[in-house]
Amino acid sequence: MKLLLIEDEKALATSIQNYFQRENFICEWAADYRTAVEKINIYRYDCVLVDLMLPDGDGLDAVRELKRSFPETGIIIISAKNSLDDRITGLNLGSDDYLTKPFHLSELNARVQAVIRRRTFQGSQQIRFGKIQIDPQEHLVMVDQQEIVLTRKEYDLLVYLIANKNRVLTKESIAEHLWGDDADLMDNFDFIYTHIKNLRKKLMDKGSPDYLKSIYGVGYKFSEQ
Amino acid sequence: MKLLERILKYQIVTSLCVLTLGAVLFYFSVDYLIDQEVNKELMRSKAKVSWQLRHIDELPVYILQLGDSLQLDQVRYPGQMALVERKLFNEFESEYQPYRQLIFYERVEGTWYRVTISKLLAQRQQLLEAVVMTVTFIVALLLISLLLLNSWLSRRLWRPFYKTLRALDSYEVEKHEVLTFPKQHTVEFEQLNQSVTQFTDRLAATYQNLKEFTGNASHEIQTPLAVILSKIEGLFQDESLKESQLVALSEISEAANRLAKLNQALLLLTKIENRQFLAGTEPISLVPIINRKLRDLEDLIEQREITVKTAIEPTGPVMHPALAEVLVNNLLTNAIRYNINGGTIDITLNAGKLVVRNTGAPIHVDPELMFERFRKEGTHSASLGLGLALAKTICQVNGQSLTYETEGQWHILTVTW
Repeated sequence: MKLLLIEDEKALATSIQNYFQRENFICEWAADYRTAVEKINIYRYDCVLVDLMLPDGDGLDAVRELKRSFPETGIIIISAKNSLDDRITGLNLGSDDYLTKPFHLSELNARVQAVIRRRTFQGSQQIRFGKIQIDPQEHLVMVDQQEIVLTRKEYDLLVYLIANKNRVLTKESIAEHLWGDDADLMDNFDFIYTHIKNLRKKLMDKGSPDYLKSIYGVGYKFSEQ
Repeated sequence: MKLLERILKYQIVTSLCVLTLGAVLFYFSVDYLIDQEVNKELMRSKAKVSWQLRHIDELPVYILQLGDSLQLDQVRYPGQMALVERKLFNEFESEYQPYRQLIFYERVEGTWYRVTISKLLAQRQQLLEAVVMTVTFIVALLLISLLLLNSWLSRRLWRPFYKTLRALDSYEVEKHEVLTFPKQHTVEFEQLNQSVTQFTDRLAATYQNLKEFTGNASHEIQTPLAVILSKIEGLFQDESLKESQLVALSEISEAANRLAKLNQALLLLTKIENRQFLAGTEPISLVPIINRKLRDLEDLIEQREITVKTAIEPTGPVMHPALAEVLVNNLLTNAIRYNINGGTIDITLNAGKLVVRNTGAPIHVDPELMFERFRKEGTHSASLGLGLALAKTICQVNGQSLTYETEGQWHILTVTW
């Protein structure tokens, strides 16, 4: 998978690049509008991450450019601007998602994977992890060909964990993924623990190994080892 | 009171004073003139009577004016000529009336006669009546013309002023409007309009600057925060870190996340205060927002075993949809956060009113103080302390009112519009 990151903040760009390289993605970086347009017109990408405020131009123009040359490319806007207008304009121009800075890299990763799944495989691709198999279109989860019934939150949690497999996920990032802005309603993260516990139990009841590791004081990790 | 009405008031008082004074002066001067005239007439009558007496010893009836009378008395010695005023009984009118008498002496064929010519002074009464009547008439005429003039002035001359006033009244800074007016012939109005134009021009520029500043501040603060958070997340993946380091890192992460949320909430608050969310003209229904929010919060409500009762009708205030969303969200999350486990939330929505009641621990300060920024009761560390401040600001800019009351264990938040 090939990504293009259009972002003028070098430190942030490096973090994002590192994160996706571990995912075995090729992540190219354009620090300004001019370079971005050059790259867009030469190479093909599966997904482009666009910051709206660039030193020499508006990220929305890059989105327009991209939509004209390669309409099938996935686009995620990452912006510090949380204004409703920009969000609506961005989505109307055909971007797939809009993420406000600051965001969790794990969240960005999950969204990139969802966009690529939708764009590249028309959503038909199955998500596989060890004994677990997920059909994203049907919201169907199977372990060893047996169906598991999950609640909406448990399903979201599982997809999120698999998207960020082999990584340490903080409790805040999980809470924010599941509850968005309401995440700060939880005075402690016991609430996540309840969902994690239920999910783990349902998976293991159908014969899945215990993939979920708790990392003391930090969060969780979903991995095969 | 309108300026013109105030001016009119002073005009009326002044004209009444002047006219009263004028009437008094008028009365006295006319009275004096008439007095002089009466005396002259008496003297003329005297001359006539003297002539008649000297040349013809008989007095014709018509020698004097009607109402005047002549009296001849035989006296032994002549006296001084005198002019006196006295009241005499008038037989025709059957009452005492003022008369002026000229008394003089004349010798006819060796005998002295005292001649008394009496003249009725009834005109004085009539004069007073005439003066009062005239003045009253002038006053009435003046008042009517002043009123007519003023209403005409306010329609004609003051029209540009009222136009400016209306424009200012409906002025909205959010629209970046600069008020301009056609040129006026009246210097004051022209000055006023120019000042208003300059003023709104400056206002629009300042407002624009402020808006840009909030936007830039958002960008400038969010970007370093994004860097911090992304670096922390990168570090978490480093397997060589010790547990104590991971815990410290996790705490840094929590604090940075909190800072990011705080920044976003403050920016939202500033944007609302800057009125960057203009309400439409149609009321929006709060029902779908409430239902959606309750669905989102389902987990939390269940986990804390809170009972939610709703009585909602499809109605709502005139408000920007995004703000309505924030308002409902903040009221509901507040009702959950400060609820007790196993408590209740009552949501009532009907025409002109949204009431969210929840059970909770009693608060020990004036409930209205809970609308202040960063005001928190108890130790809810996850709360930013901005939720109710945001809700209050949203209501304020939209012209709704938000009140907080407590009633035993109930906390009642009411939005009225």
